[in-house]
Amino acid sequence: MEFYDVRELDGYTTSIVYDNGEVDEISEHFMTGGAVRALSGGSFGFTSIDDVKKMDAAIKDAVAIARRLDKLNPRPAIEFVPIPKIKKTTYKVIKNPADISMSAKQDLVKAVEEALKNNDLVKSTKVNYSESYSHNLFRSSEGDEAEFDTYRTGFSCVAVAKDGNNMQMGRRSYYNVGGYEIFDQCDPIKLAIEAKEEAIALLKAGPPPGGHFDVILDQELAGVFIHEALGHASEADTVLEGDSCIEGMIGKKIGSDLVTVRDDPTLVRYGYYPYDSEGVPSQNTTIVEKGVLKAYLNSRETAAKLGGHPGNARAGGLMRPVVRMSNTFIDNGDMSREEVFEGVDGIYLKGSRGGQVNTGEGIFQFNAVLGYIVKNGRIEKPIRDVSISDSTLKTLNNIERIADDLKFSSGRCGKSGQGVPVADGSPHVLVKNAVVGGSA
Amino acid sequence: MNFQRLIDLALKEGATEAEIYYSKGKVVNVETQQGNVGFAEESVSDGIGIRVIAGGAFGYSSSNDPSTYEKAVRTAITCARARGKDPYLKGLPGPRPYKDVTGIYDKRIDEFELGACIDTMAAMVEKAKKDGNVSVTFGKFSSQSSSTTIINSNGIEAREKETAAYGYIDVIIKEGDQVSTAYDYDVSRALDRDFSGIGSRAAELAKSSMNGVSIDSKNCDVLLGPQAFSDIMEGTLLFAINAESVQKGRSSLADKLGKKISVDGLTMIDDGLMPGGLGTAGFDDEGVPVGQTTIIDDGRLDSFIYDSYTAGKENRESTGNAIRGTYQLSPKVGPHNVRFEYPRSDVIGETDRGIYVNSIIGAHTANPITGDFSVECRNSFIVENGEKSKPIKSLMISGNAFEFLGKINGMGKDDRMLGAFVVPTVRIKDVHVTRGSQ
Repeated sequence: MEFYDVRELDGYTTSIVYDNGEVDEISEHFMTGGAVRALSGGSFGFTSIDDVKKMDAAIKDAVAIARRLDKLNPRPAIEFVPIPKIKKTTYKVIKNPADISMSAKQDLVKAVEEALKNNDLVKSTKVNYSESYSHNLFRSSEGDEAEFDTYRTGFSCVAVAKDGNNMQMGRRSYYNVGGYEIFDQCDPIKLAIEAKEEAIALLKAGPPPGGHFDVILDQELAGVFIHEALGHASEADTVLEGDSCIEGMIGKKIGSDLVTVRDDPTLVRYGYYPYDSEGVPSQNTTIVEKGVLKAYLNSRETAAKLGGHPGNARAGGLMRPVVRMSNTFIDNGDMSREEVFEGVDGIYLKGSRGGQVNTGEGIFQFNAVLGYIVKNGRIEKPIRDVSISDSTLKTLNNIERIADDLKFSSGRCGKSGQGVPVADGSPHVLVKNAVVGGSA
Repeated sequence: MNFQRLIDLALKEGATEAEIYYSKGKVVNVETQQGNVGFAEESVSDGIGIRVIAGGAFGYSSSNDPSTYEKAVRTAITCARARGKDPYLKGLPGPRPYKDVTGIYDKRIDEFELGACIDTMAAMVEKAKKDGNVSVTFGKFSSQSSSTTIINSNGIEAREKETAAYGYIDVIIKEGDQVSTAYDYDVSRALDRDFSGIGSRAAELAKSSMNGVSIDSKNCDVLLGPQAFSDIMEGTLLFAINAESVQKGRSSLADKLGKKISVDGLTMIDDGLMPGGLGTAGFDDEGVPVGQTTIIDDGRLDSFIYDSYTAGKENRESTGNAIRGTYQLSPKVGPHNVRFEYPRSDVIGETDRGIYVNSIIGAHTANPITGDFSVECRNSFIVENGEKSKPIKSLMISGNAFEFLGKINGMGKDDRMLGAFVVPTVRIKDVHVTRGSQ
């Protein structure tokens, strides 16, 4: 089979950075370009260009590279599943950020900064505003076409508090798909106050105990857990490489009955997209239902090999499409937050400083921003720099309680060296007997 | 492309100073899919970053489309005007002589083509799979060449060409319920090494990590291999020695100049002139000459690293540390090649009891301000009587990157170039380790 598809992007990003009360940067960047992926037999050829007027030559080049590779290193032919015909409506921006004046944006950033530093312990502040727009065109040699616009807008803020030699940082952010309307979905000043309070709370936090504990994860941290530990292992390209701890386990029980996990690019969260980078209309995937592994996330190629539907092939900018998550979450349980805490002796962990996974061995690590010792369900003294590292499957089985307060956080996932926007979500969860790294 | 025309336009439109950074790059890249090369890419890209001073402040814009270059110039001026005067801004740098640097361009890499990349990748895979049990889960080989031009309205006019070849491999071994993984990589400015060795090293590491044991939580000597040491220090130490972090109140080393911050006898140098170094350059990304900056001198903090803006704030000279990842970014302070001078020895051979850690998971979660971290270790081993003995299935190490500097008590002779670091295996005394889940 010979095949190619073409993506063209053009757009801009604007960023405003305020640092310690002064403008650190105002910049605007323009970007255009195209990428071509060609398949010949069992080999892919790829090329990207800045000047889309040279697209015909780029297509020729990509096809030539694929043919050459397939000749030098013949492999079994790769098949693609067809693109499902699903009618799509694309999210339409409500308040185009280009219509908002630069001074209004600067006023917002300044107000956030004021709220951040409204305390003598706060010594340093930083606020980032960004908006981006891209116009996306897709076409393939099979005649499929897609065209859509994407806006992403948001801000982040950091407060650094200092007391003697002790220096700590608090951070909050809100990013979403859409334009300036995202500021109607959040309260930037309230988030700034939370960042400030977090930095100050961390000044009073002690070092964490190391060892095995029952832990309650807040929505952000449990979201990072499900993204890192299970989400990456469920990406079908990783499964096909023999590098996933859940290879061959579809239909099998891999977690506690309480656990249902979905990846849904149709939700208007940061990982939203109407079409993926193979031109496939997006759809929801239930990865785990009541503890049973139901599906992997697929591209057109992996769906042909492993079954399931395509729609999760995403590319960072003009790089090659790779199987990726979108908005990935643990679905709501039926307990209240209070019931999750009831009677627990252990550690409550809040916020995420990121995580990483070894999908083959099924080992993950993530780091909480702030923690608390919990005694008989009551939140007691604060601790900081707490990490958990554990086995993915053991942890999924040890989830014993799930609340009904699902919440999403926005982030960027860096698989294959390509940053793409994602959202991770979860309610509060209780995990029994997790490994906490600590020094006290 | 006549960039002087864009500088002239900026000055005509009201900028008092202007700078164009132009880079052009070419990459040939091959990757494995299910064990052998199934993906090949050849891409070129070029673009400009334009930085202007207007109304006493910087403005920045970038573009990769020549038809919008002039628009980018005007946007940069609008951005600068929106900021208001910056009292610390001393202006763009002026021309100064550059030192000759060697080993950053190899014509053989510039001319390396697809067939040769495929052969190199295939050799890496073949070496890795020599023992039938090892599978390659990902492999990549790329050859890159780029050229950079910087001109500014003060008379800087600088050009440089550079190349790099990069190889990476991920392997897995599965036997019964035992699973072991390992990765290795290498990067060089020249085609001066046998990249296939990456394959054998990763396979060897995965094999020797099979049938891991568990260990009890305790405090002990930990030997951090070059990857583990550089991963922990990158987000913490390199953040803290950056003048921007210092000036903005985010470096925990801010008030430590002249004070002891590491063990005696340890000197740390950012050596931007090291032959063949990954960060070696004649001039930095705003055209300032690159040199060597001693950061830690015999245990005492001697200097931070600066670009012209942060240097201007302190009325001193830039250390030539303006770095930009791409033309889309305005220059920021960053290191070139950070290396250590400290007595070298057979650091494993002289360790009676300890733990060797090859690599870690989660290094980026270290707290850049406080230096506190707690990470999972991979491919780690019990060290007994001067030898790596049993592999350890799972463990975490916790501590503080800055305190580690004061607890170093040995360095090996196995220096490797890893990102901005050139580092060997480093022995740290009295580190807290936590028993893992398995």
